[in-house]
Amino acid sequence: MDNWLIVTLVTVGYLFVSLLVGILAGRRASSSTAGYVVADREFGFIIMYFVMGASIFSAFAFLGGPGWAYSRGAAAFYILSYGTVGLAPWYFFGPRVAALGRKYGYVTQADLFAHRFQSPALSVLMAIISLVCFLPYLILQMEGAGYVFDVVTEGRIPPAAGAAIAYGVVLIYVYYSGVMGVGWTNTFQGVFMMALAWGLGLYLPYQLYGGVAPMFESLSQSVPEMLTAPGLDTDGTRWTWGGYSSSIAISVFGFSLWPHYFMKIYAARDERTLKKTVVWYPTFMIFLVPIMFIGFSGVLRFPGVEPADAILPTIVTSLGLPAIVVGLFCAGALAASMSTGDALVHAAGTILVNDFYKVSFNPDLDDAQERRLIRFFVVAIAGVAYYFAVFSSFSLVYLLLFSYGFLNQFMPLIIAAFFWPRATRPGVLAGLITGCATVIIWTYFPELQWQKIHPGIWGLGANLVAMVSVSLATQPMDDEHVLKFVVT
Amino acid sequence: MSMKARIFSTALNKMERRVYSTVTIIVIGTFLATMWPIYPLFSRIRPFVLGMPASLFYLLVLVFLVFFSLLALYRWEDKRGKFE
Repeated sequence: MDNWLIVTLVTVGYLFVSLLVGILAGRRASSSTAGYVVADREFGFIIMYFVMGASIFSAFAFLGGPGWAYSRGAAAFYILSYGTVGLAPWYFFGPRVAALGRKYGYVTQADLFAHRFQSPALSVLMAIISLVCFLPYLILQMEGAGYVFDVVTEGRIPPAAGAAIAYGVVLIYVYYSGVMGVGWTNTFQGVFMMALAWGLGLYLPYQLYGGVAPMFESLSQSVPEMLTAPGLDTDGTRWTWGGYSSSIAISVFGFSLWPHYFMKIYAARDERTLKKTVVWYPTFMIFLVPIMFIGFSGVLRFPGVEPADAILPTIVTSLGLPAIVVGLFCAGALAASMSTGDALVHAAGTILVNDFYKVSFNPDLDDAQERRLIRFFVVAIAGVAYYFAVFSSFSLVYLLLFSYGFLNQFMPLIIAAFFWPRATRPGVLAGLITGCATVIIWTYFPELQWQKIHPGIWGLGANLVAMVSVSLATQPMDDEHVLKFVVT
Repeated sequence: MSMKARIFSTALNKMERRVYSTVTIIVIGTFLATMWPIYPLFSRIRPFVLGMPASLFYLLVLVFLVFFSLLALYRWEDKRGKFE
């Protein structure tokens, strides 16, 4: 049988199992919006662990991650760094969010903040920002899936078809099973991804150098600048500590606030489950180590690969590995992409309906109607993303740069929500808008980024100044209302 | 303005507050230790540990530091019946 056919069959096998798991999972949740969006607040530890782990590990894990290590060396260590403490804040504010969610029926991140600050406008604004952050991320996942499928089948399954097949499967199980589908498939996909990362991450250094230690010894002789932080910048010159450190900082600040992540707090069965997930989460990070080994293994053996993100598919298809192994690689890369894409598309549909549509146009939307609308928009948003992934050469670079910058602007909100009773509605709105505007300006004018510090950090500064000054200049909120939220 | 901004709930006693403060400081400390100006002190190639350059192994140590700290906190809270 031709290699590409075996590869395709293995991949289809993986897709079939994902689909089956995803559809069967749906039977476990109720047919309400709460069932569709937060799994009736009943997720156990294993699912929470894998949802949190797999959702953040996107196609980047097998494309960009090794790509960074390959072309920028120790700069890639920032990825390992931010995951270490990224979820830790949930240990402290997570239970409060979950308790409020149970009490007031929240299903999205904006639900909580809009209620705390008594501001429908805040809900709409957060919805818009969330969708702006989601879209490029989702498009990238589809592109990644299509790309990998194309490379391993030597072009016989073109990117448009690969992306359509993978995301067709995602759409089916998200449509039918909502977050239950996301949870169970992420568990399957997460195990798959980790196995693949460790497998390749140990095999490739052995194959190419005779081991991990010989590989790093070799690199330390030829390219020592790649082994010490901050590593290299995109042009091959030394990156700055400002760039490296601020990348970690904005990733850490934003990590616990990604809307599709945050809403999973509501899904946890109880405080114990939530905290246990946070405790064990850093162990998921450990699988980034072999990912980096993969990138490093390519440096001296496969010079000149462009773009850098192609390094892993290039190595895998160049080594004459058995087709089944190549198929497993493709399946693993798809798993990485789909386990992020499914959470994104599910959250995007939910947020568009719950935080934007319902608030702006139809607050009397009943539960069944809401669920139907969410499903409709899940499909519509996937369609829009697919269009951009496949038919448009629209550059994602700026959008992606904006995403983390915008996302960070939610941080003052969470601090004010629980720790600062004096924050007011005009204050938080002013902060959010000022922060986002600053991010846009600093992104378009990179000369403003002193020491290459990320625009998100500048945005945060402006955000805090605006939030504090406008809050103090406006009427305090009602004590009784604020007392429901703040630490006392 | 009748409410103060608080970090810790007034319901916590001094010992409990100290436990939470300690863990918080460890977590924030780890975060800072991944960046300038602390990380530069440890971002060197040698010694190699488990085949990896020290710069990478150091970050793994930090992962375990956070893991064990939060695990200890979780078990302490469990023993005090916080999850019933």
